[in-house]
Amino acid sequence: MAESAGIIGKGIRIKGELSGSGELVVAGTIDGRIDLSDHLKIDEGGVVNAEVAAKQLTVLGNASGDITAKERFEVKSSANVVGDVRTPSIVIEDGATFRGTVHMDVELPEGVGRNS
Amino acid sequence: MTTNDKTVIGNSITIEGTVDGTDDLVVHGTVKGKLSTSKGVTVAKSGKVEADVNATAVEIVGALSGGIVAKGKAEITAGGRMIGDIKAPRIMIADGAKFTGNIDMGGA
Repeated sequence: MAESAGIIGKGIRIKGELSGSGELVVAGTIDGRIDLSDHLKIDEGGVVNAEVAAKQLTVLGNASGDITAKERFEVKSSANVVGDVRTPSIVIEDGATFRGTVHMDVELPEGVGRNS
Repeated sequence: MTTNDKTVIGNSITIEGTVDGTDDLVVHGTVKGKLSTSKGVTVAKSGKVEADVNATAVEIVGALSGGIVAKGKAEITAGGRMIGDIKAPRIMIADGAKFTGNIDMGGA
């Protein structure tokens, strides 16, 4: 389990770049860029308008921007996500709002072509 | 982990930009830019802050390069190091602290 990198509380707004490792929970607002080598959780009430790169990303709040989740991307039912997402694994729960493009490497079975 | 009104910037985190709001801020990591809150700021032992800090109370246990403007108390603990100006009505610098800068405690 990654050690806790911190909590950005709901009363705080960050404008700029945040980088690091560990488990980060965002309940406040971040505008800019986030580069986290472990798990980023955008809590309910959290607002992230940023380019995000993380190993795993879980969204319960609001996320808007280009997102790269190297391992896993989870959009919970309370979440609202707008943006371009690059990830090998995605979960979008019933009730979630998602607008954007998902880029994932998909291997289709034999006989199922792209141009049909 | 639930927190009310408290933001913790962990040891492994670096922020370049402005941090402002109404939470208590505890910095164990690195912040370059500007720190502003209506509550308190603690630069913890491992904290490295290169920023002007604006808060109600400020406690430096780690390192600060930048100014402090505090409505209440500005404190540098025994292990703390600061280069910058302090403007606050109450100031405490502990034995062992390292400080260089101007001090303005308001009208005298």
